Order: sequence, then C-alpha cells, then structure tokens
Amino acid sequence: MSIQLFLLVGVALFSIGVYGVLARRNIVGILMSVELMFNAAGINFVAFNRYLHPDGVWGQGFVLFIIALAAAEAVVGLALVLTFYRGSKTVLVEKMNLLQG
Amino acid sequence: MVQSIIFSFLAVLVLFPAVLVVTSKNVFHSALWLILSLAGVAGMYALLAADFLFAVQLLVYIGGVTIVLLFVILLSGKPSDWAGRQVNEKAWAAGLFSLFLLAALGSFVSEWPLVPVTSAPKLTSGPLGELLFREMVLPTELISFVLVAALVGAIYFSVKKRGPS
Repeated sequence: MSIQLFLLVGVALFSIGVYGVLARRNIVGILMSVELMFNAAGINFVAFNRYLHPDGVWGQGFVLFIIALAAAEAVVGLALVLTFYRGSKTVLVEKMNLLQG
Repeated sequence: MVQSIIFSFLAVLVLFPAVLVVTSKNVFHSALWLILSLAGVAGMYALLAADFLFAVQLLVYIGGVTIVLLFVILLSGKPSDWAGRQVNEKAWAAGLFSLFLLAALGSFVSEWPLVPVTSAPKLTSGPLGELLFREMVLPTELISFVLVAALVGAIYFSVKKRGPS
C-alpha cells in the first residue's frame, strides 16, 4: 500500500468530475460532478496527512472544511436551480441565457 | 495483503459508480450512483485511518447532500429531460481533455517518492476537536457563519414570492 495508489484514485475521480462538469447538459448533473471533484481533493488531503504527517490531523481538518463548504454550496446551488426551474421550466444549461441580452 | 484487497475493492467502488454518475442518461440514477461512489470515498477515509471523517462523510454527504439532490431532481425535472441527449456537442473535447488531465496528473503523482507509514492508526476525534477549537478556531467560527448564510440564502431563494412585487 503506497501513497501513489491513493493519489491515482484521487486523480481519476477528479478527471471524471472534470468530464462531467464540461460535458453534461443538466445543471444537477454538473453539481454532482463538482461533488466528485471535492471528494477527490478530500482523498488527496487525507492520503498526504496519513503518509507525510502521520502524527497530526491538519489534513483531516481541511477535509472537514471542504465537506462543510460543499454542503453549503450544494444547498445554495440547488435552491437556485429550483428557483430557475420555477420560472423557465428547464434544467438544461444551454437554456440558461437570461443575461445574454 | 488484506489491505491491498480492500483497497482494490474500494477503488472500484469509488471509480465505477463515478463513471456512471457522469454518463448515465437518467439524472436520478446518477444521484443513486453518486451515493455509492461517496460511500467508497468514506471507505477510503477509513482505510487511511481517518475515523471521524468516515462518520462525517456518511452523515453529511450520504445522509444530507445526496438526499437534497434527490429532492431537487424530483421537484425540478420532467421525464422529457431524460429522453434526449445528456451531453453537449463538445462532449468529445471534454472527454479528450479529461483523459489528458488523467494522463498528465497520473504520470506526475506516480513519480511521487515512496513514503512508508511509520505510526499505527489512532483515534482522531480528540485531536481533530483540539485542532478545530484551538489552532483553527477563527476559520471554524467563520465556517459556521458561512453555513448560516447559506441556510438563509437557500430559504430566501426557494420561498415562493407572494403578492405584487
């Protein structure tokens, strides 16, 4: 069990999340892909914490902050999605061009 | 040896549902696969001796965020959204870019020097509490403020406006 394996899992999860953010049309799908990227960062933080600084917990503390901010982001983002859907009856991002003029 | 088997199982549990999250046509199915992937990440935390984060991941992500996601999908979608294409016209470019990202970052981290774990795993709840309320007390208070602001903002956005305004 080496640190590279954990980092590779993190890299793969992050790449999957990047693909989802770039390619999906559904705004809820994009939010889910952002959650995947947050979790990739969390795996990396905890792996570095465990292997490079095994006596401290600073990396895990940062992951707690990531989780809290991800929860806040998800709540606000989904409230915005609901509000937008009520007005325009769509969740597809290419229809979200109110500010285009 | 046992650890390697557990790690391979967890890696599959993280990555295979994650691929299905971004490729499945039905967004509801995506959210269900996301639950499985996040459970795999929680297992990774447990394997890395982060017991408190394991519990927090289960409680906050699987018990909170994905449930809110499922509610919003049920409230905001219509079945015709699931019939059409789920990716935009540039999906091939996005796939190429993420493959490039995977190759570049993967080759970077696979050259990381080997560092063995020296200490045995120990409980992290106590040290994490001391960290949060001693060294990181100001960020902790700030994050509680951010959470309250997110709560109020979410209520403000999602409550239906009544009357002339």
